Amino acid sequence: MNSRTLLWLVPCLIVWAVLPFVVPRYMADLLVFTGIYTVAGLGIGLLLGHCGIVNLAQATFYGLGAYASAYCTVMMGLPSIVGFIAGAAISMALAYVIGRPILRLTGYFLALGTLALSAIASALFFEWDWLTGGTLGIGGIPKLDLFGFLLDRPSRYYFFVWIVAFACMAVAHNLVDSRTGLMLRSMRDSSTAAAALSIDLQTLRTKVFVVCALFGSLAGSLFAHHASFVSTQSFTVDRSISFLLIPVIGGATSIPGIVVGALFVTFLPELLSKLGDIHQILFGLALVAVVVLMPDGLVGAFGRLRTRLARRGNSNG
Amino acid sequence: MAEPLLSLKEVGHSFGGLSVLRSVTLDVPEGGIIGLIGPNGSGKTTLFNIVTGYIRPLAGTITYRGAVLGRDTIQQRGLQGLVRTFQTPQVFEQMTVLENVMVGCTKLTRTSMLQDLLRTPAARGQMREIRERAEAACERFSLTALRDLPAASLTAGQRRILEIARAVVGEPRLLLLDEPSSGLNVQEIDDLRDWIVRLNEEGITILLVSHDMGLMTVAPTVHTLYFGEIIASGDMAAIQRDPRVREVYLGV
Repeated sequence: MNSRTLLWLVPCLIVWAVLPFVVPRYMADLLVFTGIYTVAGLGIGLLLGHCGIVNLAQATFYGLGAYASAYCTVMMGLPSIVGFIAGAAISMALAYVIGRPILRLTGYFLALGTLALSAIASALFFEWDWLTGGTLGIGGIPKLDLFGFLLDRPSRYYFFVWIVAFACMAVAHNLVDSRTGLMLRSMRDSSTAAAALSIDLQTLRTKVFVVCALFGSLAGSLFAHHASFVSTQSFTVDRSISFLLIPVIGGATSIPGIVVGALFVTFLPELLSKLGDIHQILFGLALVAVVVLMPDGLVGAFGRLRTRLARRGNSNG
Repeated sequence: MAEPLLSLKEVGHSFGGLSVLRSVTLDVPEGGIIGLIGPNGSGKTTLFNIVTGYIRPLAGTITYRGAVLGRDTIQQRGLQGLVRTFQTPQVFEQMTVLENVMVGCTKLTRTSMLQDLLRTPAARGQMREIRERAEAACERFSLTALRDLPAASLTAGQRRILEIARAVVGEPRLLLLDEPSSGLNVQEIDDLRDWIVRLNEEGITILLVSHDMGLMTVAPTVHTLYFGEIIASGDMAAIQRDPRVREVYLGV
């Protein structure tokens, strides 16, 4: 880690540490959601930025994680860790079974395939009310208890969620930086040439899809313990779309970009809602503006701006 | 005579009703350079696609290192040392030159995704090895000055060399070069020729497809493909004298 990285990392960490104590409670709540969405968005970012795959099914895995946590703790009275593990195991198994056949598809067809998965899952969450409680949902999910320390306030849960999010970011960064990351990007740029270099596209894509599902499920479990109540409304196709927006807005190849994207999708609608009924239109416009003007996301645009300023500085000096 | 490294026996293929290869039989001896010429549409690239597993032939058998390549995938053939380049160079455009070469090394190492996710010492060690090999290859192919540039910014000639470097770091036994001189200038073609000779001297068997009669003189044996059939074989001088080749290919 060089000194320039430290120069911005240290202030960021300080801001991060004091933030939940200085902002109003509803904002602390939004910051918790930002952390949860960062975890879910990381998986989508890996698929989009490094494999060129549009995954519109993340709400499925998010839902599986949330329902697993809700069912295990409320219905079966098991410790919350069981819910996390059960959700992750079910999501990863489902991602493997579904991923194997649908990841043969490419481009729009694959995106539609994942969209179909999200639509089916959303319908099943509604229909299987013996398991999910349907629209009534499952309430009374206990707050997480960390070795006797109850995470019952947003400011406490904030730290837990963000430490999980940072750990996930570190894991995602490891993957991107590894041999697997190299193979993924080669496959994104030219699958024909990657195959000639003995890279097994099908297996790799499936594995990343499974990792993405793991992140989705983890985020879902975190959400369940935060909201205390889960119901079908939280796991619709709309949610899948907003998860996809996270890397699209932040910058799919950048890991900090996922945090930026998550901030955008949690805070902007909330801030705009103060303007009344027009807020959804404004959010839509903001979205179109980012996608059209910054094809590589906010982080990519920032990088380009910095390069341009540096170049201007050089030519002047 | 020793068993050839690659042997095609009565290989045939057609797309729809159009027959593109009819009963092609040829041998590639270990350590040799075999050339394949023929006008556009004569089936050269189809032959490459069949040997490397991109297309499954409708007839005939391919034997590599004494074993029949049946249902082996592209990847399995690559791991056995069969590596190709493409008629239009296929570089990984958004990756740097060094990263492109690093991708070529990935098949020499094995890590599980779990090891990569957790960055275990084994994963780090392998990544270091991949990087070192790729850096050495960049040095060798005079790509060091370009190594941090995205591959999208390279010229056609540089892309060719990068593609060859990327193939060679994976330690191929049989390198299949598809039209490696197209889009190159005279100097670049000379360099390419030197590379082919040097790699062959290092023990890599080469199957070379080209239009370029000048480049083809590196191959002691050249086969001429015309409408999916081999119509003449021999050294380049003999090929150029062959009346059928002159008629159908050289147009005289």
